[in-house]
Amino acid sequence: MSRVEADPLIVKTSQPLQSIPVPRPQRGARLSRRGLLTGLGVFAAARSAAQAEPPNDAPADVDPSSLLTKLVNRLTFGPNTAELALAASLGYQGYLEYQLNHTAINDDQCQARLAGLLTLTMTQQQHYEQSTAILSSELTDAAIIRATFSQRQLFERMVEFWTDHFNIDITKEPPNILKSVDDRDVIRANALGNFGTLLRASAHSPAMLTYLDNHTSTGTSPNENYAREIMELHSMGVDGGYTQADVLQVTRCFTGWGYENRIGFPTRGNFFYTASRHYNPAKTIFAGTPQQLDIPANLGQTDGDMVLTALINHPSTARYIAKKLSRYLLREDPSTALIDAVAAAYTTTGGDIKSMIRVILQPNLVAAAPLKYKRPFHLVVSSLRALPTTLNNGTGIRTQLANCGHRPFYWGTPDGYPDSLLYWQGLLIPRWNFGASLLNSNIAGVSIDYNSFFAGLTTAQQMADKVEQVMFSGDMYPADKTSLRDFLLPNNVTTTKKREALGVAIAAPSFQWY
Amino acid sequence: MSLESSAPIASHDPAHSTGCPEYQELSRRGFLGAASAVTFAAMTSPAWLPRVSLAKDYRGSQRDVMITIFLRGAADGLTMCVPFSENNYYTMRPVIGVPRPDSGAANRATDLGVSVPGPNGPTGFGLPPAMAALLPAFQSNQLLFVHAAGSTDPSRSHFDAQRFMEVGKPQDVSLVTGWLGRHLASTAPMQPGALLRAVGINSSLQRTLVGAPNTLPIPDLDTFGLTGSASTVASRTVPLLQMYTAAPDPLHSIGLDTFNTIDLLNTINFSGYAPVGGAVYPTNSFGTAMKSAAALIKAEVGVEAISIDVNGWDTHDNQGVTTGTMANLMNTLSATLAAFHRDMTAATAPTFSLVCMSEFGRRAAENGSAGTDHGHGNMMIVMGNAISGGRVLTQWPGLLPDQLYQGIDLQVTTDYRDIIAEIAATRLGNTDLATLFPGYTPTFRGVTV
Repeated sequence: MSRVEADPLIVKTSQPLQSIPVPRPQRGARLSRRGLLTGLGVFAAARSAAQAEPPNDAPADVDPSSLLTKLVNRLTFGPNTAELALAASLGYQGYLEYQLNHTAINDDQCQARLAGLLTLTMTQQQHYEQSTAILSSELTDAAIIRATFSQRQLFERMVEFWTDHFNIDITKEPPNILKSVDDRDVIRANALGNFGTLLRASAHSPAMLTYLDNHTSTGTSPNENYAREIMELHSMGVDGGYTQADVLQVTRCFTGWGYENRIGFPTRGNFFYTASRHYNPAKTIFAGTPQQLDIPANLGQTDGDMVLTALINHPSTARYIAKKLSRYLLREDPSTALIDAVAAAYTTTGGDIKSMIRVILQPNLVAAAPLKYKRPFHLVVSSLRALPTTLNNGTGIRTQLANCGHRPFYWGTPDGYPDSLLYWQGLLIPRWNFGASLLNSNIAGVSIDYNSFFAGLTTAQQMADKVEQVMFSGDMYPADKTSLRDFLLPNNVTTTKKREALGVAIAAPSFQWY
Repeated sequence: MSLESSAPIASHDPAHSTGCPEYQELSRRGFLGAASAVTFAAMTSPAWLPRVSLAKDYRGSQRDVMITIFLRGAADGLTMCVPFSENNYYTMRPVIGVPRPDSGAANRATDLGVSVPGPNGPTGFGLPPAMAALLPAFQSNQLLFVHAAGSTDPSRSHFDAQRFMEVGKPQDVSLVTGWLGRHLASTAPMQPGALLRAVGINSSLQRTLVGAPNTLPIPDLDTFGLTGSASTVASRTVPLLQMYTAAPDPLHSIGLDTFNTIDLLNTINFSGYAPVGGAVYPTNSFGTAMKSAAALIKAEVGVEAISIDVNGWDTHDNQGVTTGTMANLMNTLSATLAAFHRDMTAATAPTFSLVCMSEFGRRAAENGSAGTDHGHGNMMIVMGNAISGGRVLTQWPGLLPDQLYQGIDLQVTTDYRDIIAEIAATRLGNTDLATLFPGYTPTFRGVTV
């Protein structure tokens, strides 16, 4: 039977895409009985799991160490020996709370690696004195270094999530000179904080306001771009219940929200409200719904603040954020029951991000979650984390990520890089070539100490065992391991063969999932 | 060139790649045909052509190669094909409106010389200077503008509108595959045993093509291959091929398609490809993509559909109709399409149909930033050997306030599915239009000759 006939490509139900069972490899026979199934068996299991509602409440049938490994995979950009040992010492809840309490984690070593990136700590006014090329490369290298070396791994994962959620493309002007402050003072300042605070910070971010054209919107000539996207992408979701009339009304509420762009002004680049651009008459938003908001005339900048409050409190926002975060941290097809529970956590805590994460990462849900496909950034960083890596700068890594279509801060449209298997699955070549190039010392700024990785090992079996243990947390597809071992035969291979084996391991099917 | 170096391209796992046993049988026959074609190809072909041609039955299939171009971000069709007889166009667009052909302004439109009936009288259309490169193809009657066209989906969300347009059914979130993907999945390969039936020249497969068998996203056709030490490529391929052969889907299929495609594309010298007919492709990414698409089509290796995106049309701000963002985009688009038309029609080549579309049009009135917000109805460009061009195909709805969709946007009076369905039926040999566009009964509008 061909692939086309086997796949349920046209699903004739009213289920949204996120609920469509997608056959996924389940790694690790130890994990569960389901893990033993292969091929169509996996597909059948995924189907039946999706039909049994709610699937996430199935009792965990896992041994504790593999559950911990799954948790580390969910919370980090890839396990390594040290992180797994840490998780083992803290236990499931201990490790989760350790990562959630990120400010208590000593991260001096990572901070030291960032010392040379001077623009990270500069003011917006100082950034105007810098070239946009420097701003771009330092912002991107900081993201690569932090994802690779920060001990605050969950925090960095959430920075990635919100960077996509509040996407800003730094290939555009003027966001290219404004995004570095947005990254520090909006995204990183709130990544594990409160969603409402984060949304308000973004709405005051000159990088966002210029990226979505709000700085040019006026009462007489409104520009709808930001108003539409803050509802569609940042809060309520496209099906959240707003209308074209609401888009215009919200546009009017945000007229005048912009930034100081006068050269030589000491506050250049800061948020700035221009009363003369504002649309002053009264406005009504979400008319006829329980969330109807009547804004009297002449409130000026307060209009936008009231809109933000309404968006933060809207039930559609709770559900939209709950679903998107569940998809990112847990699985592409979160159950309705889970989304409800996460949305309830959002509502009862007033948008506390940590509270939502605790609901999403319950042990039984993590145990039952299928593997997710690594996006290219995750693939690259998980490789660097697993191997003995020296990273001097991100020059070559940036190029590798661009080849994969996943260079940070380079996504053009405001929806951010997609978080789906369907989007990323097709393009394997640059993933394979990353592995080969990394071990061939062909990526500027990074090197791998493959000799120390294989130190003292002589046989193909020993080396394959080591790769499985370190890069795959002891859980590689058997076929991948066999092929890798055979590649290393006969025993006592050359140095070239050793490093190429690590490149092949990065390209292996089982390294593409987490 | 020796025959020994011209071995047929062996499929990795043909049983998987080509599906059912009948296809395997066809596949073996395809290879036999290929072997006899080698001598001819070696004697007469230009150097960029593949050493091996599997193309024996290709032209005889009487099916066009389908090219879809998606202008992401909602291209402004009211700038790209200007309804200059509508006085309200100029009222609504005092800054960015393209001046009438008879205005004497330097940036005036070029009259296409067509007139269609409209509610406000006979309506003429013109091209802005940045689109003028399309005039030769238009005058050769192989390029058609379809106006007030698009998706009837009411969304003004880029992402929903693109999705529903590409899957081929408004507001159906359950439909995962694209209309072109289903076309390919529901028809036998144009060339039996083809290892690569369609390509998205992109980092990710466009939704339009999702569901197509033997189909990959390929950002750059010329560099699709394994890097690293050349002397070890073969040995490194061995474990990878074993691993992906054993892997579960989707990586199994995609991995094997990838290996097959590396071998296939290695037979084509894209960088040495010489366009004909005086065609000069722009050197930017879209120009390069279309040039390599032409090379791929002419290589006749069985590719029957190609999808390419042009990004950046979301011009809310300083639209730049004459000089600026949109002018640059239009220059790139028109120069590339013009080059492709010359290249594909100046000498015998496989026939093609090309459809260029965008998720929705832009607001009829300009905004305060010399740009336009999200709108509804739009314009499509259709081009090909058998396209009934030299016309503006439209049921023109007019631009007065009460003639606009929701009072603000150009109406959609021609569903884009009518255009594609007719091409599918008459040029792609697929009469199963319910598979392409579930729940929709298309109306043929004379798009093809």
